[in-house]
Amino acid sequence: MHESIIRKPLVTGTPDMHTVTEDVCRPVENAPSKAWWIGFTLAFAGFILWLVSFGYTAWVGLGAWGLNKTVGWAWDITNFVWWVGIGHAGTLISAVLLLFRQSWRNSINRSAEAMTIFAVICAATYILAHMGRPWLAYWAFPLPNQFGSLWVNFNSPLIWDVFAISTYFSVSCLFWFVGLLPDIATVRDRATGVRKQVYSALSLGWTSSARSWIRFESISLILSGISTPLVLSVHTIVSFDFATSVIPGWHTTIFPPYFVAGAIFSGFAMVQTLLLVARVVLKLENYITMYHIELMNIIILVTGSIVGVAYLTELFIAWYSGVEYEQYAFLNRVSGPYWWAYWIMMTCNVISPQLMWFKKLRTSLVFTFIISIVVNIGMWFERFVIIVTSLHRDYLPSSWAMFTPTVVDVGLYVGSIGLFFTLFLLFIRFLPSVAMAEVKLLLKHSSEEAKAKAKKHGHATHHPVEGNVVIATTATIKKGESNEE
Amino acid sequence: MDSNNKTYWKGLEELNPTPEFEALQKREFAEDLPIEEILSGKANDSSVMPRRDFLKSLGFGVGAVALAACNKTPVNKAVPYLIKPEEITPGIPNYYTSISKDGYGILVKTREGRPIKIEGNTNCPIGQGGVDSAGHASVIDLYDSTKLKSPLLKGIESSWEDVDAFVKEQLAKTNAAGKKIVILTDSINSPSTNAAIADFVKAYPTAKQVTYDAVSYSGIINANKNSFDKAVIPSYKFDNASVIVSFGADFLGTWISPVEFTRQYVSQRNAKHLKETKSMSRHIQFETEMSLTGSNADVRIPVRPSQSGLALIGLYNGVAKLAGAQTFNVETPEFAGNIISKTAKELWENKGKSLVVAGSNDVSTQILVNAINALLGNYGSTIDLDNASQQYKGNDAEVVELVNEMNRGEVGALIVYGVNPVYSYPKAADFAAALKKVALKVSFAEREDETAKGFEVIAPDHHSLEAWTDAEPRKGVFLIGQPTINPIYDTRAAQKSLLVWANNPVEYLDYVKNVWNTTIFPQVGAGIFQDQWDNLLRTGFVKTAGAVAQPYTFAKDLSTVVSTITNSSKSVSGKVELTVFKHTNVGDGRGANNPLLQECPDPVSKVTWDNYVAISPKFGQDQGIAEFDVVKVEANGYSIELPVILQPGQAYGTASIALGYGRTAAGKAGNEVGKNAYPFVSIVNGSLQNFNGVSISKTGDSIELARTQTHHSFEGRDIIRETTISAYAKDPSSGSHGHHDLAEISEQDEKGGAKRDKYGNLKLLNLWEDKEKKGHHWGMAIDLNACTGCGSCIISCNIENNVAVVGRDEVRRRREMHWLRIDRYYSEVAEGTEGYMGKDSKEESFEVVHQPMLCQHCDHAPCETVCPVLATMHSSEGLNQMAYNRCFGTRYCANNCPYKVRRFNWFNYTDNDKFDYYMNNPMGKLVLNPDVVVRSRGVMEKCSMCVQRIQAGKLQAKMENRPLKDGDIKTACQQSCPSNAIVFGDINDPESEVSKLLHNERTYYVLESIGVQPGIGYMTQVRNKEKAAAEHGHGGHGHEAKEESHS
Repeated sequence: MHESIIRKPLVTGTPDMHTVTEDVCRPVENAPSKAWWIGFTLAFAGFILWLVSFGYTAWVGLGAWGLNKTVGWAWDITNFVWWVGIGHAGTLISAVLLLFRQSWRNSINRSAEAMTIFAVICAATYILAHMGRPWLAYWAFPLPNQFGSLWVNFNSPLIWDVFAISTYFSVSCLFWFVGLLPDIATVRDRATGVRKQVYSALSLGWTSSARSWIRFESISLILSGISTPLVLSVHTIVSFDFATSVIPGWHTTIFPPYFVAGAIFSGFAMVQTLLLVARVVLKLENYITMYHIELMNIIILVTGSIVGVAYLTELFIAWYSGVEYEQYAFLNRVSGPYWWAYWIMMTCNVISPQLMWFKKLRTSLVFTFIISIVVNIGMWFERFVIIVTSLHRDYLPSSWAMFTPTVVDVGLYVGSIGLFFTLFLLFIRFLPSVAMAEVKLLLKHSSEEAKAKAKKHGHATHHPVEGNVVIATTATIKKGESNEE
Repeated sequence: MDSNNKTYWKGLEELNPTPEFEALQKREFAEDLPIEEILSGKANDSSVMPRRDFLKSLGFGVGAVALAACNKTPVNKAVPYLIKPEEITPGIPNYYTSISKDGYGILVKTREGRPIKIEGNTNCPIGQGGVDSAGHASVIDLYDSTKLKSPLLKGIESSWEDVDAFVKEQLAKTNAAGKKIVILTDSINSPSTNAAIADFVKAYPTAKQVTYDAVSYSGIINANKNSFDKAVIPSYKFDNASVIVSFGADFLGTWISPVEFTRQYVSQRNAKHLKETKSMSRHIQFETEMSLTGSNADVRIPVRPSQSGLALIGLYNGVAKLAGAQTFNVETPEFAGNIISKTAKELWENKGKSLVVAGSNDVSTQILVNAINALLGNYGSTIDLDNASQQYKGNDAEVVELVNEMNRGEVGALIVYGVNPVYSYPKAADFAAALKKVALKVSFAEREDETAKGFEVIAPDHHSLEAWTDAEPRKGVFLIGQPTINPIYDTRAAQKSLLVWANNPVEYLDYVKNVWNTTIFPQVGAGIFQDQWDNLLRTGFVKTAGAVAQPYTFAKDLSTVVSTITNSSKSVSGKVELTVFKHTNVGDGRGANNPLLQECPDPVSKVTWDNYVAISPKFGQDQGIAEFDVVKVEANGYSIELPVILQPGQAYGTASIALGYGRTAAGKAGNEVGKNAYPFVSIVNGSLQNFNGVSISKTGDSIELARTQTHHSFEGRDIIRETTISAYAKDPSSGSHGHHDLAEISEQDEKGGAKRDKYGNLKLLNLWEDKEKKGHHWGMAIDLNACTGCGSCIISCNIENNVAVVGRDEVRRRREMHWLRIDRYYSEVAEGTEGYMGKDSKEESFEVVHQPMLCQHCDHAPCETVCPVLATMHSSEGLNQMAYNRCFGTRYCANNCPYKVRRFNWFNYTDNDKFDYYMNNPMGKLVLNPDVVVRSRGVMEKCSMCVQRIQAGKLQAKMENRPLKDGDIKTACQQSCPSNAIVFGDINDPESEVSKLLHNERTYYVLESIGVQPGIGYMTQVRNKEKAAAEHGHGGHGHEAKEESHS
């Protein structure tokens, strides 16, 4: 693989292969830091809140929420779509960018994929929670049953959802776990005692043989091939929940691309939020560099602009359609009683990413962090606007109503963030949060050091044997040893 | 063959046996059996379970569990009747004729001996098959577990013998002392009850009956006495009137006999009448508060109560001028468009076919109304004094006098029957104080209500469904009511109590039979008593031929009348003029403890579970009062604090409060709901007047009222289509053009034109394959011009379909469960048309439309496609059905319903103490319809078009081996609609009424353009005026009330 020296380095500083191992394994092998404990305590408190809210809802009924006869979905499905959307960046990074051989993904894909899985788990909890009788949730699967020909309704977008989300979750899990194997093996090799046993089991006997690596490469490719359509299909199908309905503001064909762009947009924002913190706390600045952040900011800028165009298109089409209900639905979004939600959405999703045109801003850590939060607030409001402002004033004005969330609504949302971070913090504590093997691939040609060397020698580094073979020896690395070079 | 001599050894031990091995060989078991241990019980002490024991227990355990699991679900066997009662077949309802509390004939549906539903008795000359909301809801009062379960003697549950002995002794004492015994009753038109009272009076000569109506019509009675020497309320015939002018009489909602009047009124305005005559009656309403009747008027003029009398004088002058009679030189108000003189002219042009009514209880006002009607020659055609109504007989003067008598200590015993003066008398405190001076106080109340509290005796009367009742609501029309269930508690008919105390302890049934035999049957013709009686029970009524209504002329001098009216109009000047009115649902307060009535929204304001102060939006703005602000209303030292509703159509400078609320001893559901407005009733010249001058001040609080509808304009959407009668006469489809002109989205014929069927209807383009419509295809037609919006269908539906009551808080959260609702929209009256009150009074001049909204049973139902588990799907007969047990509650169907008619069970509404209404106790649950599933929490529900009735109708036809006839099946909402606005039937049958109506030119479908193919057609609202507000599909941007929901 040729790597131009004028490309920005993907690894900064002068880490050698062993340093990478050391850096990445540090949080896994040592007692957690104070920062981790503080974060985990907060997140776990949130998780408890989630348990309480979920349990209360399941016990007394959905009346615990602020829904009513007109607004049948509000925070539940808003949160569902929000979490599913967030998950998308992980898949995009791990699958699509792999297919396009965007090697800058190597250092961020692990966390991004973990984020995907945890986000999908959070989303799935809302599928369960929003049901009137959640104990019957298995009815959504086309299971053989004793009721004769009783079957699910394959016409219903909710059934498509069930398939989309479950497929997405299983493929993501598989992809993530397969990707983890070499790194778990590394941890295994450095571990002792019970930890060694556990990691041994988890590593599925990874031997680091050339054959393993070849199979690893092909399975990665196959899985990314499977995942790539999922990036597009999952949120497309989620958008069908709305697009196939007859409700003005929902019934629109622009939803699939608009939802996918929005999902990637919010997903990257979430990746930014997580990594900006993780790289500092876990001292991974050399692997998650400013260049990575800038690239992700550019993706946020692009997808944010797509989303913005979609918003404007919706408005235009509403006017152009000449359908009074459609026109009113959008007028109501812009200027109705939930105008503030619409304008929060517009500001956060359309205006704020445009600031990324300025290089100074998109390479500012603080600014990036703020925007990443702002974008996710905006994307939450986008779903809220789509769901609630479309429903609360639809066809018959007699049924128009307002939605006001209850404490349980808020508890369940805040709680799901707690659930997410609980899982994520456990992840960075117990599993390598950066794909060591893949980062090591970059060292030879894409690191700052390699580039500097190449510049000095006046030619690009050239390795006839590629990284695979080089790092194929990781399995023999012992803690404190180095066999690189 | 040689025998095989080979030695096979099984192990080295056998080959080289050791002594131990040989010893072992001889033993059956390799190890010693722990027999001794087992017998001594030591084996069990061992902490290690032997393997065999373990296997045994495991085997037994698994086997037992498997056997238990194999057991069939327990079967609950219905125990058959050992001796089957003659009339009862399990699963088959019986219907009995009876009488509603308001005195019209009803049918009571009973199942296995339990009354579960009230239906209209189509043949009854009064109700003609209509039932109002209070009538429907009364069935759950029967099962009220909080009623008295036995008589109370001095507050202690006692036996009837003790009560009788005590009462008789006391009555004898009172009689001996020469003190008065007063039976204070509401209007009683029951021949048997009146006979029983007469017998009682005969036994106790000092006894007398005082009739007290909380909402009184004594003004009309006295006026007729004055004008025509007939102290009666006449029978009104709205069906004979081409022009109806009402001054504050809510004759479709609460005035005298609303069910009867609704039938009459609608007969001049419904689809049939319009189609046949291309004309309709014209209705002009002058009133203060926006009443149900006012909301149906063609022209409605908001008038302050102080102006109302003057306006009536103006109308009189107008008519008198045309008639050449005496006019009065009084300054009278005129409204935009000279509506008073125009009305006078119209009335005059329709002499003998017009009707003027007034809701006032003031004698002078009613005399003036008599004068106008006499000038117009309405007596004999639209007003019948000879077959007078007997529905109200209250005599205000006597009640006022009774308080004085009690205060003077002249009354020794008071028997209260059917009234609650300590709650409803304007000077309730005076009444309560006077009561203390009465030695013996007896009440027939069902519970210790406000009045009966502290009474010596409470002798609870039966619920009307447990008792023999009869009535003569109009002279010559006699109704009978049979008991439909044995008395649930230890109650006794009030009449029987009276008879027992009068030492005439006959069975009340025998007494009733005797009354009918001796006084009623002779009036309707000779015959054998038993035949007549049996026939009576079957039909529910008999009637005499009736007198011929005579014309009457008015010959009294009006000058004092006019001056009285002019003077009284000045009495409230300078203050906020308050009117109080009987509420459409809870009535005068008797319905307060009925959760169904409390939850049924007010037909106009759509408020449930509370009363409120209605003021006009502009008045509110000028006074700095916003919606839901709590205000203090004060007059004559009495004050209440209530939230405000900004009510379009309310006269500027006035306020209105509904009566019937604020009860303190009504029962669980009714206590402390709203505030009592009776103290604002003023007693003027000995009669109860429903207006008063009050002061209103803000308290700074704000309380959100529980409303089922918070947006009040239809935003010009073509969901409501209106036309005027003149436009209709020219083009019957004038209002429904939207439906007939959806050419752009309709299928096209060969020439590229729009394809039409033989009725001129377009066939809309369709994304889906058309469903096959074989066999029956159920559908409905609703005539917006007939529907008055009274809401009785809502309660009928609630009871038929076991719809839960959810309470104020949940309604506030917009979670009422009603399967059928009535959408009410306001639209501004266009400038320059009748009823337009000028630029400054835009918010007072409003037109109203009522639209019953229920599941439309769309042929391409959007709810069906989105349900993940097929819990809602289409029947082969065009119904959109719900399989409750399959639903797991994603609510997608409700979201995707363009009509928002689906209702979700947010909580368990049965057996849940948070919803302590009738479904929370075993007694209350007896009213549930066994044919309809009670839904659990987490499932969606909605209108099923009474599928249980459809099935029952089909089975009936099958058993009788005949095809189903149109009209065999009636939905609950249709059956008892007082205006017959709802028609259900088979669309596939071209001869069915519904098919014909759906092909009426006025028919349109709500939201037809979405392509969901709704199964319910609506017929345009036709207004008899120059131009309707929404005629061109642009209703005004009506008053937008706060939609902010509960937080």
